[in-house]
Amino acid sequence: MTLVPVTYKGWIYQHDIIVDLIEDLGGYIVQKHIIAAEVVLQCFVPREDIELIRRIGKPLFGEVTDSPLVGTEIAIVSMSLEIHHLPHPSCDIAEYVRRIGAKSNMVSLARGPGKRIAGLNDEERDVINEHDIAVFLLGNFETCIEYKMPTLRRGIEVPIVLCGGPPEEALRRITSPPVEGYVGNVGRFMRRTKEADQLEKLDEIVEVITQVVEKKRDDIAKDPLSVSPARLMDLIREKVPAILDVTSPTPLTVQMHGLRVKLPYDTFAAELRAIEIEDGIKLGDLSEVVPSRMRDYILVKILPFSETNTVI
Amino acid sequence: MASLEYFEVECPEPLGAEYYRQIANDVLLDHNLLKVIEKLHIFIDPKVPIFVAVGTLRKITTVVRVRDFANVNPLEGKITLVISDETYLAPMLKIFWETFGKDHVEQPDRFTVMLYDVKMDPKEIEEIVVADPSESVFRDLIYAFRCIAPEGFRLRSENFTKTKFSFVASENTLAEDLGSLIAAKFALVGEKP
Repeated sequence: MTLVPVTYKGWIYQHDIIVDLIEDLGGYIVQKHIIAAEVVLQCFVPREDIELIRRIGKPLFGEVTDSPLVGTEIAIVSMSLEIHHLPHPSCDIAEYVRRIGAKSNMVSLARGPGKRIAGLNDEERDVINEHDIAVFLLGNFETCIEYKMPTLRRGIEVPIVLCGGPPEEALRRITSPPVEGYVGNVGRFMRRTKEADQLEKLDEIVEVITQVVEKKRDDIAKDPLSVSPARLMDLIREKVPAILDVTSPTPLTVQMHGLRVKLPYDTFAAELRAIEIEDGIKLGDLSEVVPSRMRDYILVKILPFSETNTVI
Repeated sequence: MASLEYFEVECPEPLGAEYYRQIANDVLLDHNLLKVIEKLHIFIDPKVPIFVAVGTLRKITTVVRVRDFANVNPLEGKITLVISDETYLAPMLKIFWETFGKDHVEQPDRFTVMLYDVKMDPKEIEEIVVADPSESVFRDLIYAFRCIAPEGFRLRSENFTKTKFSFVASENTLAEDLGSLIAAKFALVGEKP
């Protein structure tokens, strides 16, 4: 059974039929948003059952669309929190990626701007490395990007998508070693992205991110994870009731290699490790439960099959 | 930027110049400064790195009076002001309170102000000066240029007079011979510093 990420959008009336259906089919709901009378479910469902969900959702005015970024946590790395970079383009891009299903976090660097003075500290590096992908939003000048990019990417282990003002070919030429994705002609600008050509550019960014995500998924498929992150999410929600009291929009954030649990590490790490997944196999056996650099959250890193010799 | 007599962005990277032209346009438009600037020349060299903006300013003679944004209608012992633009409403109310006292000034809704038992002639009320935009223009211009300049360029040298201005910013210590660079850029605009 292959689970694929999709988004279901429909009216709130009788939406529990769809929720039950997805759970009965063996799928997982990663995020559920209720906006006025509309409900949006970001979920993983078995590929062969998408048509069934479409058929049952039709009388409820439900639509099922592919959302390749569901189940990913993306870092949108902005050079600072100043008016120069926010809200355009950083927020525009973070918001657009969110609409396609990703959980995007904005990481603003303390000393990101400038050329010679640009730098990345250890906390920023670690926070970025906790994500699945880092999207670097740089400025308009080739000279500056060429100069500062080696500093900014030092220690970053996750795939990088580089956005900058120069054309894509120039970005490729000036980055060595190459990064995983490039989007040219998106540098610093100070107007809202609402025109057709600007939205096309945002679509291009999403497309490049999707390609990088797909490549990462293919890599994971070669050595599959011992347990699906979405399954762990369901399990934690069931076994650790404290998570239900967390007011964060996504108390459990699904990533490609694991999940972020928004509970204090000191109090809940042992409880998480002791959760039994199946037949006496505990969560701690199949994953590393480590403190996150983001607040005092917990990061669950699921180990691959090659390390545990188990897939459940 | 149709309202500027001269507007150029000079940069060794042509695409970067184009982007910065757009940024300058957006920022000046947002801050409502296009009517203040007459000529503007921006020079950016990311290799140095340095940002220079020089230009000339228009004469700002207009002050904002009550009649510019409100209709004053006297009627049976009270004067009703119908406001068409809220921008200067707060300073106007402040002046009214100080002149007539709070008991005589009432604001039933956003666009109406009533004055009761006021001895002043309605014509005189129309002529009251509410704001002088030239007071804050330099502060607004400096803020706008800080927004336009690349963010890391935090070492600045500014010179604003009533008719001309120059703004230089860099992330490195500014060179001592800045004067000649500024003069060269002013020459392109057809002015002397």
